[in-house]
Amino acid sequence: MSDIDEEKEDKLAGSAPTNGDVFKMLQEDHEAPVSPGTVADTFKEVLPDVTFASAQGALDVILMIAREDVPRVLRAAKDDPRLDFKYLRCLSGVDHMERGLEIVYQLYSYTHKHSVTLKVRLPQEDPHIASVTSIWRGADWHEREAAEMFGIVFEGHPNLVPLLLPDDMTDHHPLRKDNPLAQIEEWQGVRLGEDVVNVGHIPAGYEELAAKSAGDGEEGKE
Amino acid sequence: MAKRGKNRLMVVEEERDLETIDINVNVGPQHPATHGVFRMVLTVSGEKVVDVVPHIGYMHRGAEKLSENADYRQALIFQDRTDYLAQFNCEMCYVMALEKLAGIEVPERAEYIRVILSELNRLTSHYMFAGAFGTDLGVYGTVYTYAFREREFIQEVFEEITGDRMMYGYFRPGGVVWDVPDNFKERVRAVCEKTRIGINDIERLVTGNEIFVARSRDIGVISGEDAIDYGLSGPMLRASGVPVDLRREEPYSIYDRFDFDIPVGERGDSYDRYLVRMEEMRQSLRIIEQALEQMPEGPILPEKLPRRLRLPPGEVYMRTENPRGEYGIYLVSKGGEKPYRLKIRSSCFCNLMALKKMTVGHYVADAVTILGSVDIVLGEVDR
Repeated sequence: MSDIDEEKEDKLAGSAPTNGDVFKMLQEDHEAPVSPGTVADTFKEVLPDVTFASAQGALDVILMIAREDVPRVLRAAKDDPRLDFKYLRCLSGVDHMERGLEIVYQLYSYTHKHSVTLKVRLPQEDPHIASVTSIWRGADWHEREAAEMFGIVFEGHPNLVPLLLPDDMTDHHPLRKDNPLAQIEEWQGVRLGEDVVNVGHIPAGYEELAAKSAGDGEEGKE
Repeated sequence: MAKRGKNRLMVVEEERDLETIDINVNVGPQHPATHGVFRMVLTVSGEKVVDVVPHIGYMHRGAEKLSENADYRQALIFQDRTDYLAQFNCEMCYVMALEKLAGIEVPERAEYIRVILSELNRLTSHYMFAGAFGTDLGVYGTVYTYAFREREFIQEVFEEITGDRMMYGYFRPGGVVWDVPDNFKERVRAVCEKTRIGINDIERLVTGNEIFVARSRDIGVISGEDAIDYGLSGPMLRASGVPVDLRREEPYSIYDRFDFDIPVGERGDSYDRYLVRMEEMRQSLRIIEQALEQMPEGPILPEKLPRRLRLPPGEVYMRTENPRGEYGIYLVSKGGEKPYRLKIRSSCFCNLMALKKMTVGHYVADAVTILGSVDIVLGEVDR
């Protein structure tokens, strides 16, 4: 009991959540229990020494693992014949704010026809995780996208440069919840503004015209 | 004589001193062969491609972030704007994700309307592919104009039903927004007849054509294992000999009621991708005809539908078989009227990842063929 109380006090004192904390939060966020006999049991059978938490999603079984188990679990998911998840469907990031950054792997097996959702949470202050590009080559662009959109660092990725965003835009992560839409428009405004001036797309006399039309509008209102 | 011989020797000596270097050739972003604003940098050694670096993101509009700031009804419009050649299929995936989370039952008639429209949309999309692919191979105009004429017949049906040519916004969580016109069945049957002739026309024009085959046979080969490893899906995967179709694999909506075949390629090259798509069109026609037979009368929306849709907390990864492959919507809801996170798993985004694997070792002109055979829509790649 006293340990838990101490932990709570730590959080109140504003200390950064640790790896174990975010794993606990991840479990707290999923309540629906999994019925026995699903792919979750196969995972536990293949990797008995890994801590799994499981929940039932709307379509797939959700399995939650800690960050340090990612390389081992995902490697086994692909290579073990009982699991045989040869197809990485999708990899997405989700920002849960103070409850951590989440990475979601959607896997599917063509031989067993089963699918699973694997989830990992990372603390906001330390968003490092092992890359899975060496397991599925198809993870390459998905990881690059998650990296630029959420600021997650995939260790071991061969080429972690922005994919969809401009090459020099490494200081903003648009899909994070602390970047509201208005702010993104501001950055864009600054960027576009510069470009327009440099290229010279503003026609001569534009400002006068704009001022005049604004004046007309006001007169009309009166 | 002696002098001439000496000169010739000198030339040979000079040639020996010449260095050969690899050259970077930039293709795009505005280039007719890139099917939109896509750029790739080819490193060529002579005529052979030794490296490809694709650059995407020129059409990134932040559909995922915008969806987080719109309510569920408003976020539908971004689905029309991702894959703008298969809008119904994308809308279908999105509304089904909402229905899964909200637990909404869809009336039978609405399911049939949706399936018929999605399959018709697959036809228009593959027509577009056939035309554009012909252009990539140098059959400029011929296939393109025929494919577009045929596509237009179906496009007119869409226009009559939805009132729009491109951004339909016709599907709703729970069904469709309004019922189809009274002459729907006859109209679609007539269009199917025309399409059957149209597919044959295009096949007669190009499928056996010697030049067409020579330019696409054994170009851009990818094996079944590699295709799975790169996460390819749809016709790209099936052309490599993997008989996987989500409509059969994890039947969604009412696809388990129809009888259709899954065409599979043998070599995994550009020509096989073309053949698979042409055969898929015939299978789509089969599905449409069966659906028209079975389509019942009845309501098109459930009776009790909230005016403002609120979803319970939860998440779902909904996937559908789009013309270009697996289209996925990963939707996270924390309650309320807006999605907390909406990730769009785009099929050609993943298919494009294998571009380097397919292109390296081929001629520069073949790079265009291979890119054409991937059938990318940049709106969906960049989102």
